[in-house]
Amino acid sequence: MRPAYSERPQLVVEPVARLIEEFSRLPGIGPKTASRLTFFLLRAEPELAHGLAQALHDLKDQVRLCQRCFNITVEEFCPICLEPSRDQSVICVVEEPLDLLAIERTGAYRGLYHVLHGHIAPLDGVYREHLKIDELIARLRTEAVDEVILATNPNTEGEATAYLILKDLVPLGVRATRLARGLPTGGDLEWADIDTLGAALEGRREL
Amino acid sequence: MYVSNLSLRDFRNYRRLDLELASSTTLLYGVNAAGKTSLLEALYYLATTRSPRSSSDRELVNWQAEGEAGALPFARIAADVQQAHARTRLEVLIQLRADESSTQRPQLRPQGSAQKLIRINRKPVRALDLVGQLRVVLFTPADLVLVYGSPAERRRYLDITLSQLDPHYVRTLAQYNKLLQQRNSLLRAWRERRRPLRGIDDELGYWDNELTAAGGYVLAERLRAVADLNTIAGTLYDTITGSGQQLAIGYDSSFERPTDTIEGAALSQRMLQSLRALRRDEVQRGQTLIGPHRDDLTFAVGGINLGIYGSRGQQRSVALALKLGESRLMYERSGDMPVLLLDDVLSELDMQRRKHVLSSIRHTGQQTLVTATDLSDFEPDFLQQAHHLRVENGQIFAL
Repeated sequence: MRPAYSERPQLVVEPVARLIEEFSRLPGIGPKTASRLTFFLLRAEPELAHGLAQALHDLKDQVRLCQRCFNITVEEFCPICLEPSRDQSVICVVEEPLDLLAIERTGAYRGLYHVLHGHIAPLDGVYREHLKIDELIARLRTEAVDEVILATNPNTEGEATAYLILKDLVPLGVRATRLARGLPTGGDLEWADIDTLGAALEGRREL
Repeated sequence: MYVSNLSLRDFRNYRRLDLELASSTTLLYGVNAAGKTSLLEALYYLATTRSPRSSSDRELVNWQAEGEAGALPFARIAADVQQAHARTRLEVLIQLRADESSTQRPQLRPQGSAQKLIRINRKPVRALDLVGQLRVVLFTPADLVLVYGSPAERRRYLDITLSQLDPHYVRTLAQYNKLLQQRNSLLRAWRERRRPLRGIDDELGYWDNELTAAGGYVLAERLRAVADLNTIAGTLYDTITGSGQQLAIGYDSSFERPTDTIEGAALSQRMLQSLRALRRDEVQRGQTLIGPHRDDLTFAVGGINLGIYGSRGQQRSVALALKLGESRLMYERSGDMPVLLLDDVLSELDMQRRKHVLSSIRHTGQQTLVTATDLSDFEPDFLQQAHHLRVENGQIFAL
């Protein structure tokens, strides 16, 4: 990323220029937004900047991955794995911690999770070994699990990831399921896009 | 179908244009670089979401374009398409991206991308949804590369024709190309020994299945189109040349396809088998070696391949037969005539071919836009029937 004031760097003093450059490395932030954020912090109360710095520091210092399911946590295990009331016989496999939160919000799932931290994307250089797939298989060998729900995204990369995991589940004799694809609740057939409607037709079920 | 109204803003050399179009033949004339081709380009863009001449959308935005009230510079193409009982409003906005500072002199704007916003009847849609709303066939002097150029040109001809006719085709093809890229990256990683070969069949399994499922459909549709085109364009070639000979169009697949069927599922199955047999070669080369992306068309008359041995005149006749055939195929499949865009093609043709083109567009009542620098290319009664528009410096004047 090219720094915002590259043409005449002497106009902006080093600490300001450095923060602008750091900000513009974040996703969705260009040089203009980076400058705006920087000058906002420059004018703001010192507590704001210090609080932000501390939060950033703690983020990298304290947060780590659960030893068992690779959810984000500050302990050795994540709160979900530590909760004894959760159904230990089902594992829901998701791509990212944010997907886990989405499923938790439904309140409809009481089992355990396994976070892969990504999906198969050869174009971006993400292969099997970059995901927590071997760790999942290891879990299935030691834990008494009846069902694995493959809740990767319903796009090409997510499907490829699910396919690859399924290949490993078959010899273990674990039941594998996939989230259904179809129409959104409260939706209108007329406005559904072709692909979604097609998937809903394919996945129709007996009443 | 026909376009009743076209409006442009900051598109190429048009700052602002609002143009009514006749449902019959319109003749656009003017000196070079006046904006004749850009007008056809705008219609072609609405039909296919691509420009026939430039690969970068940002080039379409006028150099002096400025955004309004802090918005970024953009070009806008909008048209009303009239069909039997309905009118559809198509609109494309091509907006330069924010990271390219507009304070610099526009000619010096760094290379980069532009984003497209597309609306049908004012409702935002995806680019793929626009394709097929307006169907066009573009004739340009560059059509000759269809015959002697690279296989990619011939695949593009089939793809653009079928995409405009079949919404499922354009989606499946996009999906196929995406899968292909992913699969190729995977193969490349093995070729460069960045990854262990263990489990290669499992890892390729998903991509093999999906690629061949999409590939089978694409291939089946192409074969069906080629069969139809043989009937249509084969005869057109005879009419154009008056040679008493028919053109035979062949489809050259990159793998041995079943001889008894052109059904998609069967083609997918055969492609899958062929892929698996090629595992070692593919890993060695680091790319997908078979599939619709490696196929080609051949053109032969009397058993002689015209792409290699044809004279310039024969090749020009083939290109013309393919284009007129494309228009006829669209009519037969959809029951509606596409809009013909003839960009400076008549000057390239001899008397007989020119006559054939003019007579085939004049009697159909099909909307046709013809560009020319020299009116002496046309016969008097053609000139009399056509609507004349003079194009000058990004502006259009009716007579």
